[in-house]
Amino acid sequence: MSEAIRVEGLVKRFGSFTAVDDVSFDVRAGEIFGILGPNGAGKTTTLEIIEGLQKPSAGRVSVLNLDSPGEANRIKARIGVQLQSSAYFNFLSLREILKLLGSFYPRRIAPDELLEQVGLADKGSQRVNQLSGGQQQRFTVAASLVNDPELVILDEPTTGLDPQARHNLWDLIREIHRRDVTVVLTTHYMEEAQSLCHRLAIMDHGKIVAIDTPANLISRIKTTYTVKLVTDIPLTTDQCLDLGRGAAVLPVSQEPDAGPSDGGQPYLLRLDNTPEALNGTLEGIVRGGITLKHLEIVPATLEDVFLELTGNELRD
Amino acid sequence: MLALTVANLKMLARNRQTTFWALFFPLILVVVFGLFDLSSVGAAGLGVVDQARTPASQRLTAALEDITMLRLQDAPADPAAARQLVAAGELDYLLLIPPGFTTAGPAAGPEGTGTPEPAGAGAQAGSEILPVTLVLNTENEERNQLVQGIVRRVSDGVILGETAGEPPATLVTERLATRQVSYFDVVLLGLVGMGIMTNAIISIAVRISNYRNLSILKRMLVTPLAIWKFFAAEVAAQLVLALVQAVIILAVGVFVFNAQLNGNVLYLLPVVLLGSLIFLNIGFILSAWANSPAAASGMGNAIAFPMMLFAGTFFSTATLPWLLPYAADALPLAPMLSALRDIAIHEASLGQVWPELAIMAGWVGATSLVAIRVFRFS
Repeated sequence: MSEAIRVEGLVKRFGSFTAVDDVSFDVRAGEIFGILGPNGAGKTTTLEIIEGLQKPSAGRVSVLNLDSPGEANRIKARIGVQLQSSAYFNFLSLREILKLLGSFYPRRIAPDELLEQVGLADKGSQRVNQLSGGQQQRFTVAASLVNDPELVILDEPTTGLDPQARHNLWDLIREIHRRDVTVVLTTHYMEEAQSLCHRLAIMDHGKIVAIDTPANLISRIKTTYTVKLVTDIPLTTDQCLDLGRGAAVLPVSQEPDAGPSDGGQPYLLRLDNTPEALNGTLEGIVRGGITLKHLEIVPATLEDVFLELTGNELRD
Repeated sequence: MLALTVANLKMLARNRQTTFWALFFPLILVVVFGLFDLSSVGAAGLGVVDQARTPASQRLTAALEDITMLRLQDAPADPAAARQLVAAGELDYLLLIPPGFTTAGPAAGPEGTGTPEPAGAGAQAGSEILPVTLVLNTENEERNQLVQGIVRRVSDGVILGETAGEPPATLVTERLATRQVSYFDVVLLGLVGMGIMTNAIISIAVRISNYRNLSILKRMLVTPLAIWKFFAAEVAAQLVLALVQAVIILAVGVFVFNAQLNGNVLYLLPVVLLGSLIFLNIGFILSAWANSPAAASGMGNAIAFPMMLFAGTFFSTATLPWLLPYAADALPLAPMLSALRDIAIHEASLGQVWPELAIMAGWVGATSLVAIRVFRFS
């Protein structure tokens, strides 16, 4: 078994609106696969079709070599699902909820073992609404593991969490992955996709615009470095051209995200993916006798990938 | 402060569903209490069996109709069947107008199977006047006195007209012994039905609407659990709750307030279960329409509360105007209450309440179909 999920030509229409527009991808067994995109990109709809919650308008989906939705029940027994913003029964304890959920599956893990795995061992007799946001999220991950699944699907597992809780959850997801469980997750956090996922699909307006490892995605784009510099006197047009070697040098008034100016004149350069570009810029600074008040060289991130592929900033 | 109030009003106006039901609810009560003629709660129902069908007998009936305290009701044409209604307490009073009744007809003895007793001091056997018979039961002696007096005055007036001198008796009374049925017993069974109805409708509507809001229904769908089992478990839990509720209400009524249940209490079981199913289905239907648990609760109340009053939990629905008594009988709670009371108070067997059970089964079927059609998971 090499593919945990295979999606071919998937389309989902709601009336005249096409939420998922001819999407194809494979998730390999044993990897952490991310789907990155802004809200409304079609991530959740794609997952819900994989989970058997919605029927596709066109296309084929197979999960663990089983056909979805045709063999949905056999699929459901072997996967674990965490829904976006799904809560649980208010009047049952964590242990009782896990026991109840486990009773729906032929194979199950004991509630206390699950709680132990997600670091909630001492909370078994509490109710969901007594937990913090991060604990609740870890609990919903525990609930997706009750049937000892081969594949877990997590829909925006860290949305709304503070940075500390988000890092805890990343550790938990890596821990799950170490036990040979394939993980599929959606996110709109670049940082999360970059640090957690082995491979990544970037989704926008119902289409997949790129699929690769995070490093390959970044190396594929034209802009590899962003150089922010602040000079004590404004640069002449010639100096600008010399610095950029043809790349655009923007005065900061046109660039909202340039950083501190220290009372000088800030500039921002986006350099392409060649070693000469960066060297050329640095040499240009020396050659022109430019006095720097501030210099910052930032390697490209998925943010830049997304910007370049879709022409949009990725926002929450 | 003002800005906040305005903002709050805006939010309330935008959460239309909840606000509508909250406002609508008291309005329904106003309508309900307006429709029930509460001042006539002491009114007496009178059935007239007119075996004469003469202008004179029609004049008498019309004169009785003018009396505010009397409410003329349909009665079976057969005097024996009509008497049974009085004996069972389902009809307060019955007036028998004998065949050949005129204002100056030949004399004949009063007919009837009860124990006739001459009413009025001036009774004269063999008078030319044929007296009418008022059949009453022993439920309410005070009211009996009053009704007897009123009816005699009317019959005197109609039959004797302006005749002077010693008047012959125009009215004889016939007293049928009836078992004492206290108002409390009747209301107690009404409360059993009402409790089951309100609890089933509101709690299921709110629970399911809440589950949907929390994506719990969706969460169930991603497990291998067949989803019908989820709903079957919901219904089973509610049925157990309904039985516990019925037992508690009856037990408190009987042991604390000395209610008398004469019938076989076990026969109440199928009535309670069938009734619960109807109201659970209604709850499922409401949960599909409501987009928040609060709205579901409001809708549930808006349906349960009027039904409680209109189906006759507390007052007889006979005082409602126009066609509303028939509409009241068409409510699903009405056959349930009727079956509960017939079994517990009038010692009916399940065979005797089969029409009610059949109507309720029909309701279960109809509401199930609608519930399945309108239900949504998200």
